[in-house]
Amino acid sequence: MSLLDNVWVVLALKLGIAVVVVFAVALVIMFAELKVSAHMQHRVGPYFAGGRWGWAQVFAEALKFLQKEDLTPRDADRPVFRLAPMVSLLATFAVIVIIPLSPKLVAVDLDLGIFYALAAGSVSTIAILMAGWSSGSKYSLIGGLRAGAQLIAYELPLVLAVVGVVIQAGTMSMVGITEAQAQPLFHLGSVGISLPYVLAGQIVGFVIFMIAVLAELVRIPFDMPIAEQELVMGYLTEYSGIRFTMFLLGEYAGMLAMSAIAAVLFLGGYHFWGLNADWFGPFVLLGKALLLVFVMIWFRWTWPRLREDQLQSLAWRWLVPLGLANIAVTAVLKVVL
Amino acid sequence: MTAPTDRDLLAVHRSEAAVSVELVTPEMTLNIGPQHPSTHGVLRLVATIAGERLEKVQPVMGYMHRGYEKLAEVRTYAQINALVNRIDWVSGFANEVPFILAAERLMGVEAPERAQYIRLILTEMYRISNHLIFLCSFPAELGAPTPLMYALRERERVLDLVEGVTGGRFHPNFNRIGGVKPAAGGGSTQRTRSQDLSQGFIDGTRRAMAAVRAVCDDLEGLVLGNEIVQQRTVGIGVLPAETAIEYAVSGPNLRASGVPFDLRRVEDYLPYDRFDFDVVTMPNGDNYDRCRVRLEEIRQSARIIEQALGSLPGGPLQAKVPRVIKVPRGECYVRAENPKGEMGYHIVSGGGRRPYRVKIRSASFCNLAVLPWLLEGALIPDVIAILGSLDFVLGDVDR
Amino acid sequence: MSEPEAPGAAPAPEAPAPEAPPSAAARWAALAGSSEFSDAFRTAKVRVPRERWVEAHRALKPHLPFFGWLSAVDWSNEVAVGDPVEGGPVEERYEVLSRLSDVTAGEAVILSTDLPPDDLRLPSLTAVYTAADWHEREAADMFGIVFAGHPNPVRIYLTDEFVGHPLRKSYPLLAREVKPWPGAVEVTPLPAAEPAPGESGEGSG
Repeated sequence: MSLLDNVWVVLALKLGIAVVVVFAVALVIMFAELKVSAHMQHRVGPYFAGGRWGWAQVFAEALKFLQKEDLTPRDADRPVFRLAPMVSLLATFAVIVIIPLSPKLVAVDLDLGIFYALAAGSVSTIAILMAGWSSGSKYSLIGGLRAGAQLIAYELPLVLAVVGVVIQAGTMSMVGITEAQAQPLFHLGSVGISLPYVLAGQIVGFVIFMIAVLAELVRIPFDMPIAEQELVMGYLTEYSGIRFTMFLLGEYAGMLAMSAIAAVLFLGGYHFWGLNADWFGPFVLLGKALLLVFVMIWFRWTWPRLREDQLQSLAWRWLVPLGLANIAVTAVLKVVL
Repeated sequence: MTAPTDRDLLAVHRSEAAVSVELVTPEMTLNIGPQHPSTHGVLRLVATIAGERLEKVQPVMGYMHRGYEKLAEVRTYAQINALVNRIDWVSGFANEVPFILAAERLMGVEAPERAQYIRLILTEMYRISNHLIFLCSFPAELGAPTPLMYALRERERVLDLVEGVTGGRFHPNFNRIGGVKPAAGGGSTQRTRSQDLSQGFIDGTRRAMAAVRAVCDDLEGLVLGNEIVQQRTVGIGVLPAETAIEYAVSGPNLRASGVPFDLRRVEDYLPYDRFDFDVVTMPNGDNYDRCRVRLEEIRQSARIIEQALGSLPGGPLQAKVPRVIKVPRGECYVRAENPKGEMGYHIVSGGGRRPYRVKIRSASFCNLAVLPWLLEGALIPDVIAILGSLDFVLGDVDR
Repeated sequence: MSEPEAPGAAPAPEAPAPEAPPSAAARWAALAGSSEFSDAFRTAKVRVPRERWVEAHRALKPHLPFFGWLSAVDWSNEVAVGDPVEGGPVEERYEVLSRLSDVTAGEAVILSTDLPPDDLRLPSLTAVYTAADWHEREAADMFGIVFAGHPNPVRIYLTDEFVGHPLRKSYPLLAREVKPWPGAVEVTPLPAAEPAPGESGEGSG
């Protein structure tokens, strides 16, 4: 056990596992998007690659992207242009490390966990702005500016939704919030019944959080920064090859990260009634996160996109006031009960 | 790189803005197209934008001009017929009809009744196909890709039936002066086989019409009933009736502005007067109404087709015409209600086997003329939505 | 079929006397202040002199608000493409046509005016019909007609460097000169002649 006492070995191990797991799950989500969208549209989806169900499609596509030439436009701001996809990916990983997979399996348990997660998560905004600005393309620029406006608008409801949970749990630690949801809320006879926060008072917060997450992730109905029909590909227009893949992976890893955070905050994290959190925790959490990911994919293939100004008015006129009201109600109830 | 790039200009603007304290949004020229995901081909819009708002727009066309009016002068009438169904390739057969009718009128030939019914049925089937294309591409322009598959699936049924009769899907080239071609599988070399509509056609068409109606109901609920679609379309791109007439907008776009004008009612080019159908109009002339008009027109077309199938007369498919088609001197203009609007051909015949001049009046070209008026002051997302709602095809614009 | 209008000669006004109500073309001609009209092939056509081009449109606008199209015909005896007009030489000129219609009953008329080949100027209709804008630009591109007073007289289809006016009869179809079109087969009548086997309809009912 002496090896595991070395902090650097442990860190390397944790990071390695995190990277591998996140990439693997991101690929699974990519594949799910292909298949789910196909079945929603009366199609079969990928079919040939890999034999059954076209399971190897994502690998084939990843390989294809890797082979493509890595183009940098002449007018681009080269260092920024090349850095942007890495910043995007890095921001996602920075979020993922604090997600507790089980009471023991947690990379870092920060006291300010959720605060850190939101702060790190918004770094991806900078990545998008960097990409949009540095591409040397008007479409990219418009996309980047739209992203900037959008992410500023939706950071606020996101934080407000989280504040309700923090008040109810009394802690900002991710593990602490998870454990708080495992506390018995009331007793039926001698059995303590615990409920995740989405059922115990934070349903409004959950809805606001999920809407804001969709906007943060630039997914339909809030994908104006990409808006294929309007801006070609928005801030991604000039990217190709591996850098485009990094943005793509960043998007799917981001879906996973934000869904996992939502699962921790609102759905009870690694706890599930009757399942040992120590053993089943990672699977429970992953299951909950993937369920939310599925919902995001479902939205993606069902709804059209809002307009930029409608997006802003949704955030400022509805989500922010609702979030504030949610905080007030939560605080009052916390004191009263 | 001697000329100042936009980046340089932007830098200048920013420094100026910093000095003058008041922040200004610099105007920017954005080239939407000719290669762009949603300009339906090679239309180019030179847009002057301030932020998200479009100040001015200048459509630039001609990237697809194929010179059909010139080519028509060197080809015989039968050969031109193969050209004209490439003008608006989404509704190929409907393009042939007014041309053939104009040539027939100059020759004094009238197609037999059965041929006229088949022309009518196929025209309406292409109308359905065209409007289904609209109903799948318009939501896609709003960012919803799924209705595309729903609409295209039913369109496939329609096109399969058309293929069964004409042998072509997009470019049937099925009209002949004096009638229609013997149906696919027939022809002069295979005289023993049926040269008429196949037996399965009538039943298959009835089934397809039922399926088309069903998908219309689906799309009505899923697309037009969607709150986000309504937010994106209601009250956007309003085209008042007076402006529509002023700019000579025709077809469903005109009817969406509340003008009950349908050439199927007023021109006697095909036996539409024998069938019962409504001229669909909508009151507001916005994107939503333009979408809705087309949805309803699919239903009306299905109605017409069903009635026509029920009363399909027998008889020959082809009137007696000379083997070498020579059109006597004269000129005439025949127009028809194409799926996209008024389509007409002004044929000037010099008396020979080739026309002296053919003027093609295409619907999309005229409908697009209203674009600068309609787009002024619109937001970029609405630009795309309005563009899509006008339902044009670049082949029809450039000819 | 009645005697078609001879494009070469000045169209003799077809006497509308036999019919009791005046023909549509006659009514439009009266409104446009012209006496030259024809109703051949159910296409009402009124000829107006060039000086009265805008006035005639203005007079018809209240009745026919819908500007269908505007185009031109290059009447020429020496043609680089296609066939010349059969039956003798025509008077060389450019005939500008504009189609007006209403949006209720389907009434319509084609107005036409003649321009001599050496003076292709015509006042623009854009002040009367907004929709004439693009059509006039097209006619300017294709025939080289100069529309005086057009608000935006830039090319619509052709590039700025393009030389020539493609729809003029003198403009050759270059592709066809380089390589004759393979579809240009000369059809010779069969010995047995009428009726041609493939072309006659034999629907099985």
